[in-house]
Formats: sequence, C-alpha cells, structure tokens
Amino acid sequence: MRIPRLSGDGVWRWLSGACVALSLLAVVALLALVVTRGLAHFWPADIEQLTLDDGQRIAGIPRGSQAGERRYFTANRDLDGQVWRWVEQQAIESRGTPPDLLYVERRDWGPFIGRLTAVETPAGERLQGAEAERRLRRALRGDADVTTLHLRNVEGRSLKVAFAQVASLSWPNRMDIGDKLAAWGHGVWRFLSETPSDGNTGGGVWPAIFGTLLMVMLMSLVVTPFGVLAALYLNEVARQGPLTRLVRIAVRNLAGVPSIVYGVFGLGVFVYGLGGHLDSWFFADRLPSPTFGTGGLLWASLTLALLTLPVVIVATEEGLARVPVALREGSLALGATRFETLRRVVVPMALPSMLTGVILAVARAAGEVAPLMLVGVAKLAPAIPLDDEFPFLHLESKFMHLGYLVFDLGFASRDAEAAMPLVFATATLLVIVILVLNVTAIILRHHLRARHRALEHS
Amino acid sequence: MTDPSVASHRANRRLRQHLDRLATGVIAASGIAVVAAVLAIGVYLTLAVLPLFDAAEVKVEAASTVADEGAIHTVWLADDGMRWLTRDGQLRNAEGTIARLVEDATIAAVAEGDDTQPLALGLSNGEVRLVPRDDRGRLIWTQAATARLFATRGVAALALGHTAQGWVLAGRNTQGDVAALWRAGDALRRLAVPETAEHIAMGHAGRLAISQGTQLTLWKLSPDGKGTALARTDTRAPVTALSFLQGGRTLIVGDAQGELRRWRLSPDDAGWQAAETSYAALGDTAIRRLIALPRQRLWLALDASGRMGLYQSLSGLRWQGQAPRAIPPPAVSINAQGTQVMWLGESGTLQRLAIEAPHAAVSAATLLMPLTYEGHSTAQWRWAAAVTGDEEPQYSLVPLAWGTLKAAAWAMVFAVPLALGAAVHSACYMSRRQRARLKPAIELMEALPGVVIGFVAGLIVAPFVERHLAGTLVLLVCVPLGSVACGWLWRVLSRRWELRLPPISVGVGLMVPLALVCWAALSLSPWLEAWWFGGDLRTWMYQQWGWDYAQRNALIVGMAMGLAIIPTLYSLAEEALSGVPRTLAEGSLALGATRAQTLWRVQLPVAAPGILSAVMIGAGRAVGETMIVLMVTGNTPLMSPSLFEGLRSLAANLAIELPEAAVGGTHYRLLLLGALLLFVFTFAVNTLAEMVRWRLKRRYRRYWGNA
Repeated sequence: MRIPRLSGDGVWRWLSGACVALSLLAVVALLALVVTRGLAHFWPADIEQLTLDDGQRIAGIPRGSQAGERRYFTANRDLDGQVWRWVEQQAIESRGTPPDLLYVERRDWGPFIGRLTAVETPAGERLQGAEAERRLRRALRGDADVTTLHLRNVEGRSLKVAFAQVASLSWPNRMDIGDKLAAWGHGVWRFLSETPSDGNTGGGVWPAIFGTLLMVMLMSLVVTPFGVLAALYLNEVARQGPLTRLVRIAVRNLAGVPSIVYGVFGLGVFVYGLGGHLDSWFFADRLPSPTFGTGGLLWASLTLALLTLPVVIVATEEGLARVPVALREGSLALGATRFETLRRVVVPMALPSMLTGVILAVARAAGEVAPLMLVGVAKLAPAIPLDDEFPFLHLESKFMHLGYLVFDLGFASRDAEAAMPLVFATATLLVIVILVLNVTAIILRHHLRARHRALEHS
Repeated sequence: MTDPSVASHRANRRLRQHLDRLATGVIAASGIAVVAAVLAIGVYLTLAVLPLFDAAEVKVEAASTVADEGAIHTVWLADDGMRWLTRDGQLRNAEGTIARLVEDATIAAVAEGDDTQPLALGLSNGEVRLVPRDDRGRLIWTQAATARLFATRGVAALALGHTAQGWVLAGRNTQGDVAALWRAGDALRRLAVPETAEHIAMGHAGRLAISQGTQLTLWKLSPDGKGTALARTDTRAPVTALSFLQGGRTLIVGDAQGELRRWRLSPDDAGWQAAETSYAALGDTAIRRLIALPRQRLWLALDASGRMGLYQSLSGLRWQGQAPRAIPPPAVSINAQGTQVMWLGESGTLQRLAIEAPHAAVSAATLLMPLTYEGHSTAQWRWAAAVTGDEEPQYSLVPLAWGTLKAAAWAMVFAVPLALGAAVHSACYMSRRQRARLKPAIELMEALPGVVIGFVAGLIVAPFVERHLAGTLVLLVCVPLGSVACGWLWRVLSRRWELRLPPISVGVGLMVPLALVCWAALSLSPWLEAWWFGGDLRTWMYQQWGWDYAQRNALIVGMAMGLAIIPTLYSLAEEALSGVPRTLAEGSLALGATRAQTLWRVQLPVAAPGILSAVMIGAGRAVGETMIVLMVTGNTPLMSPSLFEGLRSLAANLAIELPEAAVGGTHYRLLLLGALLLFVFTFAVNTLAEMVRWRLKRRYRRYWGNA
C-alpha cells in the first residue's frame, strides 16, 4: 500500500486548523468548567459516612481525589476547626450514605453535617426522633415554631443551634431526583436573592447583582447621550479634514488604553478632585470623614462611562457612515434643515447601531473590575444603594460588584477553598450576563447589516 | 399686502433655521466637550506627575529676634521656636523662665531623637539630663532625670540612636573619651568605649560610628556592657562631621576637603557595605555640620565658607546655596515632617528655613538605575514604595516595566501563533458560511471578562500546572505534531475507504482529536517525568539550572493573557487577510502555485502591515491588562527572566497600591507616573497601528479600484 504524503499545503492547512481548534477548545473548556462547577454548587450532593480502620467516623461530601487520597468536605468548622479532610483510600473500612444525615447551612460558622437529636419549641417542649423531624419540617414551611435544634455530629459531639441561625436545612441522602432538582432550584434562587453571609463565603449575591446592574444603568445614562452627540459632531457637524481624522484616531485609540488608567483618572479627578470639592462645599459638617470624596457609585459610573465612550462613539459613527448620502441629499433637497435631516432621517437609520454600541458598552462595563477597585467597589456592602430614605438613590455609597466579588472571594477570602464553589457560581452569573448582552449586540448588528445591504441595493 | 400664510411660513422658516443653528451648536459644543474630556486623561496624568520633577528648594522664610538676653546662649529650640533652653539650664519663652533644669553646671551638648526618645542634655560636669516624653511625644520637663556619663570631664557631644527595646545615647567628653547609656525597658546601663574620638554618630541597633583624624571606626555596643570594634577604615581626609540618617543604617561623613561620602551598614550590620559613595561637593572647605532631617533621608550640609546644600541619600545634591549667617548655628531644631528648620543665629536672630523637597527621593537615577539600597549588598533594581516606619523606600520603576513587558511578551508568544494561525485558516481555508459562524464565536471570546479568565487561571490552572508541569510542557510539543498527524491520518483513511470530509471545517473537526491528544499527553507525562527527570521536573530543574518554581508565574500568565488577547489579534488579522484582493490569490493559483505558496508568497506579504498592526494592538492590550496579571502572577516585583517565576506589572501595581497611597505623596505620584507610562505606551502603539491599518486600507482600495 502506498502511504500518501502530507504535502506542504496540507501541513499548513492542518496546523492553522489546529490553531482554530485550540482557541475554541480553550474557550469551551473554560466556559464548561466555570458553568458546570458553578451550577453544581447548588446540587445537594449525597453525604457519605466513612468508618476508618482506626475506628474514626467521618461524614462529608466527596470532592475529588488525588494520589490515593480522597478529599471530603466535612463542614463543622466550629467543632473540628477545619472543613476539609483528606482520607487515605486504604484507610477506609466502610462507606455508606445513611438517610438520616443532615446538612444545615448556618448563618455563622458555615454548614453543619450530622444528625438531628431533638428540637425545642417555644413552649419549652423537647421533641425527639421522628416527631422532632416532623416538627422541624413544619417549622421550615412556617407552620410551626421551633427555637433551638439539638444536633450531633457523627463522632457523637453535640451542638445547639438556634433556629434563627439556620439558613437552609436538608436530608440530601433521602432526596430523590425530583426533590434534588427542587432543592437545586431553591438554591439558585437563594443565591440570586439573598445577601452574603459568613464572610461572603455563604448566602447569595443579590447586592452584587444589584450593584452591577445599577452601576451599569447609571453608566449607560451618561454614556449614551454624550457618545451619540460626540459621534454626531464628528461625523455630521465638524468639517472633515486632517484634524477630524486625528481626533477620530485618538478616540479609537482610547478604546485601547488600559482600563486601570481610566480608574486612575477617575480616582484623581472624580473622587479626589470633584468629590473633595463637593465635600468641602456641601458636606463640610461631616468632614474629615468623606461623603463624595471617596469611591462610590456615582464616580464608578462616570469612570466607566468615560471608559466606554469610545465604544459608543465608534459604533455610532459606523452607523452614521452607513446611511446613504442619497438619503441625506434627498432630505436636504426637499427643504429640510440640517437638524431636521439629522433628526428625521439620519438618526433613525443609525439608531440600531447606536443601540449596538450601547449594548457593547454595557457588556464591557459589566466585566470591568480593575478601574472599580480604585473608584468605589466594596468587599461587602449588604445594603443596596437604593432605599426608601431620601434621596432614595445613594450615589455616594459604595457598592458590590459581581466581577470584584469573584476576585475578592478567590484571592482575598479567609478560606479560598471553601469559597470556591461560590466563586464559580458568581463567575457563571457574570459570564451569562455578559454573553447575553453580547449575543444581543451581535444579533442586532447582523440584522442591521442585512437591512443596510437591502437599502443599498434598492 | 402680504398673505398671512406666507408670513407665518416665513416665521416658521426662521424658527426652523434658529432651531437648526441651536441644535448644531449644542451638538458641536457637547461633541467637542466629550472629545476634550476623553483627551483630558493624558493631560491630567501629565499634570499630576510633573511635581515629581520639581527642583528642591530651601527658603529662608522669616527672621525675628528672640527678645531675650539669655537667648544668646541658647542651645535648644522647640520646633516652633517658641521655647528655648539656655546654656545655663533655663527653659524659657518670650515671657521669661518656665523652669530651671540644671543647677550647678552648663549645658554643653544636646541630642534630640524622634518622639519615642528623650531629649538629652550633656552637662559640663560629665552628667546628662534626660527629659522624657509622654505617649504623644511631648516632652515632660518636670520629670527630667540625671545620669552620669563621665566621671569628671564635661560632655562635649551627644548622639541618640534607637534599638529594638529602647534607645542608646552615646557621648564624647572634652578629652575625647567615649561612653554610652543603654536603655532597655526601665534599666539604664553605662558602657565605656576604650577609644578616643573627635566625632561620634549613633546608628540603629547600637551601631556607633566614631572618627579620630582620618580613622573611621564602627563599634557595636551591646547591653551587656561590652563594645566590639567591627570595622576600621581610613578616609582620604580628616573627618570633620558625622551623622547617621533616618533609620540609622546610612552614615554621612564630611571631611576637611569639603567632600561628603556615604557609608552604609552591610545587610547583617557587621560592617560597611563594600563601596562608599561620594556626593557632589559644595566647595573645598571643610564640612562643619550635618543636619539629618527626619524624613526621606534628607540632610543639610554646611561648610566653613557658609555654603549650604540639601542632599538626599540616593539622589544626591538637590539644592545648594548660601546658609544664613552664623556657622554653625548655636541651636537648630527640626519639625517632625522635616519641612522646617528653626535656626538661631549668634546675635539672637531666629530664622526659619522651609525645606521644599517633597519628592527629593525621586530622580532619573533612582527611577532607572540599579542602586544599593539599605539592607542589600549589591546594586539592584527594586520597587518597594509602600514602606512603613524607617525603612528605605525603593522607587525604581524598572522591575515593574520589566514585569509588564515580560507578561506581555509571554502572552504574545502564546497568542500570536494561535491567533494568526486561526486567522489564516479562516481567511484562506474556510468557506464564507463557516467564517460567518466562527467570527461571532471568537467575538464572544473577546467579551469574556478578564476577572473570570484570571480566576480560573490563578486558582485552577496554576495549581494544576504545578502538579503536571512536565505534562504541560509536553502538550506544547504534542499539539502541533498531533494536528499534523491527524491530517495525515485523515488522508490515509480517506484514501483507503474513500471517506468524504464531513461539512465541518478542519478547525472544528480537530477539537475532539486535539482534546484526546491533550488528555494523552497529560496522562503519559508522569512516566516521562519518572524516566527522564527523576520523578519531579521541578526538583530536577532546580538541581540542574537552579530555577525556582513559583506556582503563579509567567507561564500561566502567558497562557491566560494569551487567551484573552487572541480574539483581538484574530479579528484584526482576519480583517487584513480577507481584505487581500481575491484576484491576487486567484492569479497566483492560476499560475500554478500551491495554496501554501500563495499563502506565503502572496497573501501574507500583502496583508503583512495589517497583521503587524494587529500584533501591535494585541501587545497594547496585553500591556494594560490588569485583572489577569493581578490574579495570576503572585505580584512579586522581581527582575528575573525565568518563565517559572512571578512578576508584577505596572497595571497590577496600580490596582494594589493606589488605593492605599497618600494623595499627593511621592508614592502616589510615582504610581501616576506608572499610569502615564501605560497611557503613553498604549496610545503610541495604537496610533501607529491605526496609521498602518489606514494606509493598508487605502492600498487595498487601490487594488480593488484597478481590478
């Protein structure tokens, strides 16, 4: 048989193909990792109970293995002083998933794994066994009252937990797939709607979601009019010459200036400059503790608006340039003034591209973290900056941000290992938000191009 | 008679024209304002950085006369000049005597340390009076204590230094004998140094420098009562002034020929650093006095002919001029910030010298040159600007620039081949439909936030690579080989069984085989490692080449940031390649060239400027990327070329240090200088790239026009 030789042509074809494949593979792997780990966080995994050959008993959720050792998430930080256990595989004598193992998420000290021994009611009753469990289930639904839970870990050490401390409670080993799905949905909902607890390693990320959205909304309120006006000026009003070309190149290049530099500008000009002056004019009584003279929602929005201005300007200009000259000339020939032509003909036609620009700007702003670290993001700010107290929207307050939360949880938290699932979940959320925004922009642009093509050919 | 409808029509038209003018004006005004605001970034950064390079100045601000007869003999002034101590021991202010500190002797020497040390007065009978301070550093005159330093002879000079537990006061008597008082906790011990001296200076941790003629000796005093001579050296000319600077590790020596030299304690405090450094001299007359200021390692040097110079330990002479009259002044005091020196002349005139040198520690040399810092024995580029207490700040931007460029370079090493390969593939080997599907996918990649990439790279990939280093390196070889092998295999199979290529592109089709290759390489690597590198590549590398391995290193940042800049590079390069007029490629193919020949000889050369501009823009992004570098590199400002060690980039440094830096300080402005560098670099690179692209577009248009 003659073995065919791969020609030079073929080598380049396959090598360059490998580049495409590798890039896509890396992204797919990254997304898959983030999304699966992020969503798996809410899945109520079975709790294993182990008996070791030295008689020790351990209960925990298996989380990976390496070199003949298995890692278990054993929770109970207050009892054991740690939440992870490495167990040698050979040392395991027996393994099971007893149905009465309980998983409690507490507001302090993190989760607990163990068994329920008794519950106390407000009347001072102490219920045990099946009755305790029934009562607890009813209390969880809100039908009955329970004050204290008596718990015991697998080693037999007991613990009292106030019912108010319990964030959620389940018997994962008893759940069937339907229960687990329901619990998963409930977990996702709690993640989206609750405030963080236990040093950001537990609870939800609602303030961060809200902070991100509010900041991005304020930013787009600023960036849209100014970006569009600047684009209109550059494309429609200013005389086209070397100077406009220079300005256009400069604006385009500002999109390539590192975001942290915008952060530095925001800190120096908005926070210390404008904010400092505002403080000395209007909030002098509160000095030296700063009101606007420190990072906050307003300054963060303005900084990001500046950062995304080139995106909006470039997209809008592109849209304006696509409007056929014939239409403008037609409108002017019919006696419309320049402003009327702009308002009635040019802008409506360029509207979708402006929208694309704004969406791209929002997507970029939602993912930017570096400048925020300088102008107002907070590690923990459970109170959202919008409430019923005058002036309702607190522009000077610090806020939480999904992207910063990812950074902070992963790199500055007490127990990065324990925070990891939450980081993944937060990252998933961030990625989903940004992908949705970008897909919208891409689809919009696609339709837009199709429409313009039709217009040009007609 | 005019038709009313015409009139209203005319009015309407006027209104419309007004409106038009107004709207145009508004658009123009806000457009210009926006463009100006955006361009203001560069202006602001420049303005904020410029004060760093202001010249230092010493101004004689105010002159007044201390209206007091006794003041002529004043030996000490409070730092506001409102109270003074006369030679005969009276503490006075403008109204008169407040307290009497010394009864039957006169004050011959004064030493004042920082606000944790007492005020020491050396008396003519060999005793010292020590005025303690309260928690806020204020002197408690009523609790002055007495200790004996010399048996009979009077004290001639005193020097204070700090130790780990307290302070040590060294003194010299009129005969040149040297003794010291060591304070640890509540105990006070006297130590005698068996040597005579003309000048003394006290450093940190009990290091005492004394000079006699041209001989300079470093002593180590210790609380057990014994001193040891650590080093003896000869200077070129007789020593006329000695002073340790803030921190007590740097000694300034002034000599009879007007020369000033710096001697530094070696890192273990057991001797001097190898090389002394000399400073620009004021003149050729003897240095009469050195006044060390408590901040920024500044000092004033006065010489015999009335010249005065302001020096900084690392950046040298910052200012020189004439000193106020009366050299040396009888009493001098310095405020805690080191910005004001009160200076009492012989005739009782009080002058205030304002030292305006907020950024004296910054010069071209401190920013760019390797220097020997305190606590180091060789000249190095170092960055450690956020220091506490008496540590010496290290202000070289070179390690940060190095880290930035190193991270960007490694990112480019990963990204350029991948992105250009992908661009070539999609421009030359993909159908229009396939390309239309791939482009949005890559654009989505561009939208991935840096913080997500950084977190996965820093917390998942970095530990993984640390465990499977050999496997990762094997991957880099296996993937290209594997993909060519796949191509060959595909050809064999399709010849053999006449399989048809399914309607997916090579790029997408290769994903699964490549994933398999990756998996195989990773699972084979432990054997490889055991076979060649004795089981652990990292240990082997350390033993063979002395390479350290940090978990977060340049390799990881190259991969992570490479992934982040691939989309930018790809889009721009693809645009350049697919813009190459098809007639050129078709002509080449028609003349019998293969696809590869056409690619290398026609398409790539024509698109080269565009590809170059893509690479430049990609490099600009890599230089400015913050979150990935911050999360993946460990942020150690090292100057190592190693792929396996950490680094710190300018951008990450801004994110870490700027929130903590005091506004307007040297550190703050230096960070802003870093931001300005980033701004200028990216702006310049992008402008260049944009110009290249613009010219290329024009060229393409010409091609198309001719076609």
